[in-house]
Amino acid sequence: MITVKNLCKDFNSIKALNNINFTVRRGEIVALLGPNGAGKSTLMRLLSGCIDPTAGEIEIFKQNYNNSRRQILSELGYVPENAPLYGEMTVFEFLKFMAAAGGLSSTEAGKKIAELARQFELSDVLTQKCETLSKGFKRRVAIAGTLTSSPRILILDEPAEGLDPNQKFSLRQFLKDYAQKNIVIISTHIMEEVTALSSRVLLLNRGKLIKDTTAALLSELSPDNSLETAFRNITRQKQ
Amino acid sequence: MLKQINLIFQKEFCSFFRTRLAYFVLGIYLFLSMFCTFYLGLYFDIINTGLFSFFYFQVNILMLVVPALTMRLWADEYKTGSIELLLTRPLSYTSVVIGKFLAAWGLCLLMLVCTFPLWLYTAAALPADNLNIAASYFGCFLISGSMCAVGCMVSAFNKSPIVAYLGSVLLLTLLIIVNYNFIFNGLNLSGSLIIRFTQSLNFFYHQSTLLNGQLGLDNIIYYASITVLTLWLNRITIEYKRS
Repeated sequence: MITVKNLCKDFNSIKALNNINFTVRRGEIVALLGPNGAGKSTLMRLLSGCIDPTAGEIEIFKQNYNNSRRQILSELGYVPENAPLYGEMTVFEFLKFMAAAGGLSSTEAGKKIAELARQFELSDVLTQKCETLSKGFKRRVAIAGTLTSSPRILILDEPAEGLDPNQKFSLRQFLKDYAQKNIVIISTHIMEEVTALSSRVLLLNRGKLIKDTTAALLSELSPDNSLETAFRNITRQKQ
Repeated sequence: MLKQINLIFQKEFCSFFRTRLAYFVLGIYLFLSMFCTFYLGLYFDIINTGLFSFFYFQVNILMLVVPALTMRLWADEYKTGSIELLLTRPLSYTSVVIGKFLAAWGLCLLMLVCTFPLWLYTAAALPADNLNIAASYFGCFLISGSMCAVGCMVSAFNKSPIVAYLGSVLLLTLLIIVNYNFIFNGLNLSGSLIIRFTQSLNFFYHQSTLLNGQLGLDNIIYYASITVLTLWLNRITIEYKRS
C-alpha cells in the first residue's frame, strides 16, 4: 500500500506539488492525468525516490525512504518518461545488469530475462545495442528491465509512448494481469488508455490533486459522457 | 555491498571499452608518456636507473588524461536521465560511487601496466634501481587514484562531460600548483611546525617525493585522504541533487 500525506515539492520558487494526499492499494491501476506541467512526473519521481519532497510523507508498505530506502526500492520499479537505457550495452547486457542491480543471481536473471524477452517480444533484439533500437523497442526494454526484479509497485511515466497499436494492446493486457497482485501507477495523455486500463484516476492541475475518481465517473462530468471533454472542462476551469 | 561495488565496477569498466574511450585514452596516454620520456625527458642522454625521464612528466600527463576517463561517469547519467534508472535500483549510493571510482582507477592501473615494457627495457639495458621504480609506479598509481576521485566528484556536479573534464583539469592544476606556504608566509607565521604542516598539505611536495621513489606513510595518507574526502563529497553531491 502507498500512502501519501500532505506531499509538497518546490523547485526554488515554483510549487510543483502542493498538499497531495491519497492512498493506493494492491490490485489498483492508477492513472495520473493532467495537463503539461501539472506535476505528474514530479509525483512519480517522488514516489520512486528519485527526488525528496519539500514537505509531507510517502509511506510504501508502511516504510518510508528516510528509514528503509533500499527495502522500498527492492519492491519498486520505475520507468521514467524518456525510457533511458545504457546505449552502449546490448539489450541482454542491459537486462542482466538491471536484474543483478535488483539483487537477482545469475541463474535467476537468465530465467527472468528469457521470460521477459518472450513476454515483450525482445528475443530478436537481445544482441542488439540499445542505442540502435527504435523508440518502441527502447520503451519495451526499459519496462522489461524494471520488471526483472518483479517489483510489487510499478511506476510508468507515459508507458505507451512510441508503441504501435499491437504493442499498446499487449502492454495493456500485461499491466492488467500484473496489477491483479501488485500496484501499477501510470501517467498518460491518452484518454483511451485511461479508460481501457485504469481502475482509478488522479487528476492533477497546477500541482494540486483536483479529482480522485474513476474514469467512468470522470466521464459523467461532461455533457457528452466523454473523458476528453471532462478533462478539458475541468482543467480549463481551474486554469 | 562488495557485490554491488563489483556490479557497478564491471558495468563502468566494460563501458570504457564498449564506447572505445579506453582505447582512445590509452593511446593518448602512451603517446604522451613516450614522447615526454624520449624527447623532452632526454631518456638516452641521462642516466635513467630510476626511470626519471618517465616519472618526471607523469603527474602532468595524468592530470590531462584521468579527467577524460572520469568526465562521463556521472555527467552522462544525468544527461541521459539513466541516473533515475540507476538510483531507483536497491543499490547503496556508496557502492555506486566506489564502483564508478574503481572502474576509472582500474583503467589507470592498466595504463601504467602498459608502460612496463619501458621498465623491462631499462632493466635490461642499465643497472636499473627496480625498487625505486616500483615505488615510483606505486606513487603514480596513488596519484592517479586521487585524480580519479577528484574527477568523479566534479563529474557529479554537472550534466556536461566537457564541463566535467575542464573542471577536473582546473581543480587538479590548482591542487598541483598551489603552494600553501604563500598563505602562511603572507600571515607572517613562521616556525618549523607551521612549515611542516603547510608542506603536508602541498600536492607538489608529496608528488615530488613519491615520484623519486621515496615512498612514505605521509604520502600514502595524503593521497588516501584526498581520495576518501572527494569520494565522500561525491556521495554528498548525489544525495544533495536528490533533494
